Amino acid sequence: MKTLRLLGASAIAIMAATSFAQARDQIRIVGSSTVYPFTTAVAEQFGKTGGFKTPIVESTGTGGGMKMFCDGVGVNFPDATNASRRMKIGEFEACQKNGVKDIVEMMIGYDGLTMAFSKKSAPLKLTRAQIFLALARNVPGPDGKLIPNPYKNWNQIDPSLPNRPIEVLGPPPTSGTRDSLHELFLEPGAEQIPVMKALKASDRKAFDAAWKTIREDGVFVEAGENDNVIVQKLDANPNAFGVFGFSFLEENISKIQGVTVDGVEPSHDTISSLKYGPSREMFFYLKKAHVGVVPGLDKFAIEYVSNRAAGDGGYLEKKGLVPVPKDKLAISQANVAAKKVMTGEGLPK
Amino acid sequence: MTELAQTLSPAPVAGVDFASGAARARLKKRYRSEARFKALGLAAVLVTAAFLVLLLADIIRKGAPAFFEHRAQLSITLDPATIDPKGTREISELRSADYQILVRAALIAQFPEASDRRSRRELDRVLSSGAVDDLRSAVIADPSIIGQTRSMPLLLSADADLFMRQKSRLIERRKGAGPLHVEGEGANISIAGGGNVFAVALAEMKTLLAARIRAATAELAGLQAGGTSATVDAKRAELEKDIAALQARAAAATSPETLTDREPSLIVAIGGGLLKITEIGSSEAKAVTLVPPKPGAIITEWSLLKITTPESNRRVSDRVAAWVETLSARGLIENGFAWRFFTNGDSREPELAGIRGALIGSALTLLVTLLLCVPIGVAAAIYLEEFAPKNRLTDILEVNINNLAAVPSIVFGLLGLAVFLNAFDLPRSAPLVGGLVLALLILPTIIIASRAALRAVPPSIKEAALGLGASHQQAVFHHVLPLAMPGIMTGTIIGMAHALGETAPLLMIGMVAFIVDIPQAITEAATVLPVQIFLWSDLPELAFQSRTAAAIIVLLGFLLVMNAAAVILRKMFERRW
Amino acid sequence: MSVLYFSLLLVMAVLAFALARGRASSGARAAAFHSRPNYHGLLAASLVAIPMLVVFVIGAILTKMIAESQALTALDPALLTDPLRRGAALREIVEVANGRFRGNPSITLQAAGDTWAYVQRVARFSIYGLGLAAGIGGLMFALRSITPDLKARNRFEWLVTVLLMICAGIAVLTTIGIVFSVVFETVRFFQKVPPMDFLTGTQWSPQTAIRADQGGSSGAFGVVPLLTGTLLISGIAMLVAGPIGLFAAIYMAEYATPRFRSTAKPVLEILAGIPTVVLGFFAALTVAPLIRGAGEYFGLSVASESALAAGLVMGMMIIPFVSSLSDDVITAVPQSLRDGSLALGGTKSETIRRVILPAALPGIVSAFMLAISRAVGETMIVVMAAGLAANLTFNPLDAVTTFTVQIKTILVGDQEFDTAKTLAAFALGFVLFFFTLTLNVIALAIIRKYREQYD
Repeated sequence: MKTLRLLGASAIAIMAATSFAQARDQIRIVGSSTVYPFTTAVAEQFGKTGGFKTPIVESTGTGGGMKMFCDGVGVNFPDATNASRRMKIGEFEACQKNGVKDIVEMMIGYDGLTMAFSKKSAPLKLTRAQIFLALARNVPGPDGKLIPNPYKNWNQIDPSLPNRPIEVLGPPPTSGTRDSLHELFLEPGAEQIPVMKALKASDRKAFDAAWKTIREDGVFVEAGENDNVIVQKLDANPNAFGVFGFSFLEENISKIQGVTVDGVEPSHDTISSLKYGPSREMFFYLKKAHVGVVPGLDKFAIEYVSNRAAGDGGYLEKKGLVPVPKDKLAISQANVAAKKVMTGEGLPK
Repeated sequence: MTELAQTLSPAPVAGVDFASGAARARLKKRYRSEARFKALGLAAVLVTAAFLVLLLADIIRKGAPAFFEHRAQLSITLDPATIDPKGTREISELRSADYQILVRAALIAQFPEASDRRSRRELDRVLSSGAVDDLRSAVIADPSIIGQTRSMPLLLSADADLFMRQKSRLIERRKGAGPLHVEGEGANISIAGGGNVFAVALAEMKTLLAARIRAATAELAGLQAGGTSATVDAKRAELEKDIAALQARAAAATSPETLTDREPSLIVAIGGGLLKITEIGSSEAKAVTLVPPKPGAIITEWSLLKITTPESNRRVSDRVAAWVETLSARGLIENGFAWRFFTNGDSREPELAGIRGALIGSALTLLVTLLLCVPIGVAAAIYLEEFAPKNRLTDILEVNINNLAAVPSIVFGLLGLAVFLNAFDLPRSAPLVGGLVLALLILPTIIIASRAALRAVPPSIKEAALGLGASHQQAVFHHVLPLAMPGIMTGTIIGMAHALGETAPLLMIGMVAFIVDIPQAITEAATVLPVQIFLWSDLPELAFQSRTAAAIIVLLGFLLVMNAAAVILRKMFERRW
Repeated sequence: MSVLYFSLLLVMAVLAFALARGRASSGARAAAFHSRPNYHGLLAASLVAIPMLVVFVIGAILTKMIAESQALTALDPALLTDPLRRGAALREIVEVANGRFRGNPSITLQAAGDTWAYVQRVARFSIYGLGLAAGIGGLMFALRSITPDLKARNRFEWLVTVLLMICAGIAVLTTIGIVFSVVFETVRFFQKVPPMDFLTGTQWSPQTAIRADQGGSSGAFGVVPLLTGTLLISGIAMLVAGPIGLFAAIYMAEYATPRFRSTAKPVLEILAGIPTVVLGFFAALTVAPLIRGAGEYFGLSVASESALAAGLVMGMMIIPFVSSLSDDVITAVPQSLRDGSLALGGTKSETIRRVILPAALPGIVSAFMLAISRAVGETMIVVMAAGLAANLTFNPLDAVTTFTVQIKTILVGDQEFDTAKTLAAFALGFVLFFFTLTLNVIALAIIRKYREQYD
């Protein structure tokens, strides 16, 4: 009898193994850890109210998510991806090449990129130029030439800053926040420095290389995708700064505070009015080809940009989303309703 | 022979006096060292035990609160116009209706003054979105209640719940002395006391200034060291001005102080209402209304509440705190067992997050493991122990299995990723793959335990069977195996307990996604209990910390039951030969 | 369907068993049979069950293939080559066929559903028919071949032996699977990064840019900082677990009363059974802040994810491991050695230190090696309590990272198999595998040799 049982068990295993590839009736979403809390909130709501299965959301970082998203069309690839920045032209092309031709884009809200640190320390004001000098691998030396970053303490950059070691926990390149760190902090920061501005005019390539390279001498530590861990570390280490989205700052307001950047404190109002410099838009991308294949995908997108979710006073605002103005949200809603496909025009490099 | 005898016979000990003082001292020293050695051994055992006790106590202390939740018993009107404006009573209509409006209305009935837009938004922070879910499922379960007004328990939000738990620590309550005169309404209230009723509170606020002066002075000192430049000078001047202003304020003992969200909040509780002080003097104060007092209440009876954590440092605002406090004072808040911790799947809202999905996921995963592992493991053990020819091949096999047991579990995760996901294209996050990986992981354990159990059966039994004419297989299956069965089962249970607690390899195969739905089959996405613990432990919300610990308690409970079963089995059936 | 089929199979097998057994035990010549009636029964049952099972497995696979291709052709032949639409279409077809489709299916979809159901129906009948035929054929054959001379027992036992061998083979396949999957990816990694750079590099920063236009790390794959980090944490763990575990083992083996033993042993067993994710939680949330606080009190700067916290808790984890292995080797020291030493006037502790421990030394050494291999491979405690920063340091108050942490960090959420970064995880896994395997082989060899010494 043992023979029978064994064979039966293995037969069942074979059956299970051969029947999986058939159909997936659950939406799979990957992408940014910054957008993750919002997407999961919508997913939960959608699962409770929509009559569909609750989507599965994995946090892989914007870049990682884009890569998986653009790898192809089919049940083995995610249906949608979160992004804490707009899709790059390169990513769009990769998508096209792999057959992911029809992509619907939705802007879901704003997020401010903040540098945050423990509440145990005194509030701090920094300019983006100072942040550039603290983080770039090569900075202008006394003679204006680029030299490897010599600064170890904040007050070496500017004597009015505290005499504390520079210690920044930041995201790895798979993260959209990393891209934003370069584009919202380091590039504008470099432009604030006259020498660098001159360099931009004379040697664009060298300028770009300067703000695109972060130092690797231990001052900037890649702390992984998980922003929550960073919060715990900041709480424990008053000298350390973390780089992440405003929603995270707000969620952890009892432990950390944001650096005032270029004289503007990060807050709901300064971000939605774009007064706070390092503000960015957050996006959600889905494959049109999967609509109708994976049940509920279009309904999920409609729920995401609906007024009760992403609108002013919607439930995502409770999670820390800075809502977009009504007219902009209406564009997203129209895009989703019409399943308008991206053309790739106007995408950032 | 003689040499041996010489070495064995004691050397002549002429001249050694065992009764001498030196010898006694030596003996004493030896005994002391004996006692010390024994004490060290005992200490080692006790340290280990102490660590275990500390670990368990810490987890239970952290996890216990998660088994309870606060609910507000509110009367709620199930307005048909909101729930089902078309009147079709169709499930899909009922499901997508906006129940938030009804829940909000129930709160507004308690706090009529909070009906403006801003307040409504803040009001939403009092109750959990789980309250909305409960309402929805109640309506769907029985649509006939639409149109009725009934009293329902509504779940508080995690922040409000935490406030209720920490209330006694967070709030200092001081009874007010003497009558108060309250004038004005809304955001413009002035309070005047008969005497220096606020003197103590004011003094406390003044002492806080000292800390700020210290901090600023320290910063100034840091600047001095930094050298000079235009920016430094400007900053220094600014700091000096700040310090001077602060010192002046601290010195003037009776001058009024403005309170911001960086200082502790002071709230006057009077006549069932709560007034938040914005500026405090020793005998008078300016305030804004949080909850309006009943008109005509006796104003000699009042108390001053101090929320020690400044408003900017907590998740719950003064207003929300005031509402929760008022609900509590009205006797509307109850504390009950949080069944939903066992009946819900995962959630991003800590108060809604439950372990049912993880438990089912664990059960499915372990089922796959068990079905694969036990037949294969036991059969392999029987073969290796009883039938395998003793040659090089089986020798290698044996070494192999022993070493397999010591391969780090994460390497099995790599195997799962490369072989099952990448090469076989099995679904990510599925209990099927998890079960396969865990089966491979504990297969060596089960084989080794089964072999040990088989080996423990005395050979005489087998020999007797063989002697009576049984074939080799008959001897093994009829006589040896039944006697080894308790040992094999014990080994299996311990192996399964090991599989239940395993986390690392499952991270590799995608069981770490956010999965809300309860898995129904072994090919659906799922997570397991240890991975759920890992996921929750990373979340920043304080409430998730206690959820994590509570999930650990459940996991340890299961492990305890399994291990106890193994011990009982061993005790009941174990035979000493 | 399968439940019914398996019930049928069971009934047939039982029937075959009963018939064959009856035939072999009845009649005057019953005593002349080579095998006991039960074996004739079992052999007949196997002869029925195995063909039926084969029919089922092949039939099920064929059914699936035919039903799907037929139904898809009925719906839209283009679907056969469109893997994306295919899955969705099949789900709808199955829903239609089972009457669970929401809404009204189109005519073609309905037709496809009908086709699917039709194929299923036909297939089911065929499988039942063929299965039954195979079963009856097997039964007839089995019954006919029953003669007193038939060595039914030997044949059945041969079947069982084959089965047992297959099972034992799976254990080997696992090892081969691990070695192959890891080695294969490791080789691919070394095509991208030279092995010497990997083994001797002192910088670890695998987070390379994932796009050409992006700023990322330079992609240094030097394993030395990970090695030192792993050794630092394991070293701390062994400093804790070595002495405590050994002393606990000595006390339990030599001093403890049976009553003490019977309470202390379960305590150790419980500790050994606590999942590492629980210990990691404890390390990260309770022990690490404690150590940090203590460090601040003494004016030391302690990283929030110091190696010390992870090492301490890991040490606690392996105490039961060290103590139970050492306990075994200490008890294995022959009583005669103890008696000899005590008879010469040695105190108990002197006996232990001068006689038992030296005698048990090889065993204890191997116990320690096994414990180290366990510590090196441990994942969850370090993932939760140790850091990601690959610092090349031996300061226990600093943050370090380990092999396992890096494997987990690189692979979670990433499924690309062509970047150096992902492949690096496999290379790390290989190093880990190799390292623990070597420790283990040596330790087991020592134990084996040592056992022989006293046997």
